[in-house]
Amino acid sequence: MFQLRSATAVALLMGGAAFAQPVIRTMGMPPGGFGGPGDFAMVRPEFGMPGKVVTGAPYSAQAVTQFAQTLADGNHIQRTTTASVARDSLGRTRTERSVGAIGPLAGSGGAAKAVFINDPVGGMSYMLDAASHTVRQIPAKAKWDRQVVESGAQVKTESAGAMVKQRARANLKTDDLGTQVIDGLAVQGKRITRTIPAAQAGSERDIEVVTETWTSPELQMVVMSKTSDPRFGDSVYKLTNISRAEPDPALFAVPSDYQVQQGRPGAPAQ
Amino acid sequence: MNADERDLLEGLRALSSDGPHQAPAYVEERLLTEFRRRSRLHRARVWISAASIGAVAATIAVLLWIGPLASRYARSPADAPAMTEETAGFYPLPDAEALPPVESAMVVRVQMPMASLELIGFPINQDRASDRVEAEVLLGQDGLARGVRLIE
Repeated sequence: MFQLRSATAVALLMGGAAFAQPVIRTMGMPPGGFGGPGDFAMVRPEFGMPGKVVTGAPYSAQAVTQFAQTLADGNHIQRTTTASVARDSLGRTRTERSVGAIGPLAGSGGAAKAVFINDPVGGMSYMLDAASHTVRQIPAKAKWDRQVVESGAQVKTESAGAMVKQRARANLKTDDLGTQVIDGLAVQGKRITRTIPAAQAGSERDIEVVTETWTSPELQMVVMSKTSDPRFGDSVYKLTNISRAEPDPALFAVPSDYQVQQGRPGAPAQ
Repeated sequence: MNADERDLLEGLRALSSDGPHQAPAYVEERLLTEFRRRSRLHRARVWISAASIGAVAATIAVLLWIGPLASRYARSPADAPAMTEETAGFYPLPDAEALPPVESAMVVRVQMPMASLELIGFPINQDRASDRVEAEVLLGQDGLARGVRLIE
């Protein structure tokens, strides 16, 4: 299938005049149709990008993300998404996410479920599509880890990426929040306050964007984070029901009734 | 051999028998000096040639070694994110700028009206707000979107 992945298209999106020459092919209804009012319809899970491999620190937990935004007309948007996450002593991980909402976006119809298993022992990662009972088997690529972790999100144009990073680094203030215990885990806190000058934002006053992150040295992962951005709303991510017991090994295996497909969708089989 | 040739040969023999049988000492000395000078020059040329070849080889080796390093550092994530087929093309969402770093990610394909792009931070042409597009969305470990790339 011919695919044009282009940030240029997005750049054109952002320029009203550019819409005189549309480059985005608009779609008809998705296969399942939009089951109701919603901001998006899930087509399928594509692939996953594992984090750094951590061995000897098993856990399982529920990850809950709450998003809230108040619009200019006083209307409120609230979304909650959940995921089941687990890691065994070997460093294998599993994330099972219901994609019923993406930030402020609500999915139409039922929440689609996507399961991503990373198996650094076997050198494979698996993306399970619960709707079609298919699994994509993709060779694990350790390179993804560092790129994603360091850059947050990859961008098409290097200059645009550099600009975003420069802006993000500007006017940053970092505060150490000390330690506390969340769900029985000792965590270390850090608050980053980013001030966007009024002149840059085009606002009457400076805009402050605050991000709190609480990280467990034991699990080597973020256990809770809060972001408050007056422009886009507030979000809270938290791991709950954390268990340090070894998870069921079956969680990291592909169910036998799933049809295995090789490689990433739209990419040559690997 | 004719008579003239015989006369010339006898003359040359007579001439040689009259002169010294060895070259004068000063001639020998000058010859040896010239030989040594040329010999030094030759050795120097050999050394210079060898050194030049060595220098060129060393330069090529250094360039081959430095080249990949230079390009790697030139494209280091701090300056510009490294690209892979899987992650290239995601445009960072404005509202993701302040979100915590991504520890792990999941990419899902969705269809959405353009109006949804506006909800995640993109200004759009309102005339096409109801048009639907297909996109891949990069979700962080918290399920919040970090980047989007449109599919055509």
